[in-house]
Amino acid sequence: MNLEHELQHALKRKSPASGFDERVLRRIASGGTIQAPPPPPARWARRALPVAASLALAIGGSYYVQQQRHKQAQAEQAARDVVLALRIASEKVSAVQVKVQEISHHERQVDY
Amino acid sequence: MQTAAAPANAPRALADDLVAQARAGSEAAFAEIVREHQSMVFGLAYHFLQSWSQAEELAQEVFVALYQNLARIESPRHLVFWLRRVTSNRCIDWVRSPRFRREVPIDELHEPGAMPRLRDPMLDALLRRLVAELPPRPRMVVTLRFQEDLDLADIAAIVDMPLNTVKSHLRRSLEALRRKLAERGHIHES
Repeated sequence: MNLEHELQHALKRKSPASGFDERVLRRIASGGTIQAPPPPPARWARRALPVAASLALAIGGSYYVQQQRHKQAQAEQAARDVVLALRIASEKVSAVQVKVQEISHHERQVDY
Repeated sequence: MQTAAAPANAPRALADDLVAQARAGSEAAFAEIVREHQSMVFGLAYHFLQSWSQAEELAQEVFVALYQNLARIESPRHLVFWLRRVTSNRCIDWVRSPRFRREVPIDELHEPGAMPRLRDPMLDALLRRLVAELPPRPRMVVTLRFQEDLDLADIAAIVDMPLNTVKSHLRRSLEALRRKLAERGHIHES
């Protein structure tokens, strides 16, 4: 490896973030106040991101569980309503059947 | 500062004219000077400080100082010498000031659209890190030598050191770099 050649590559000139000339001019106009370029993600942001993600997951998860419970309760109520409706219908059918049998029995007695 | 509206497709003004126009108060001429030299100033600061944000801050300060000292600039050649000298001095002062914050450089940051180089990016990053571990003055000598491709007499004039001191800093820095690279298995010590 040619160290000097490698150093020339590694230490090439580097351009600042775009708009550097405008930031310099703004800084001159503002009397020397530093003009910040668009910042890279700050260290606190990199740390806060997993916490925020966990929080969002926990809140989202809790909401999802609540929604599921609510849906399950609604489904159970609907099932109960259906059973009740079937029971009522069944009772009505039985009553009609008894009535039909009574009429049929009465007609047979009249025939004899 | 007054604004000189130059047509975007106007032929590039001579560097001499740019300095004269900037001295006369042309914001457009000064902005052109900044654009022309920003990679030199920012590059020196970045390779020296190994911090994008601190290099940005320092480079802005250098150009603000240039604006305040435009009357002293005699020629485009003097402008380049002045920028290199002020950047070097400010870099060395910076690492001794409370403003200096040692940071882990993010070498993966590229300007949007930049093409990846077909070289070992790990070796480049390692070399930059090893250069950043050198003491401030030798580090600036190495940075000026390899970023700006300057001869040792020019470097001596910029950092205001005797030529033999510059030679000694460069020789010992290269020895240290070779040794550290050999320890990491990148080169074989002869």
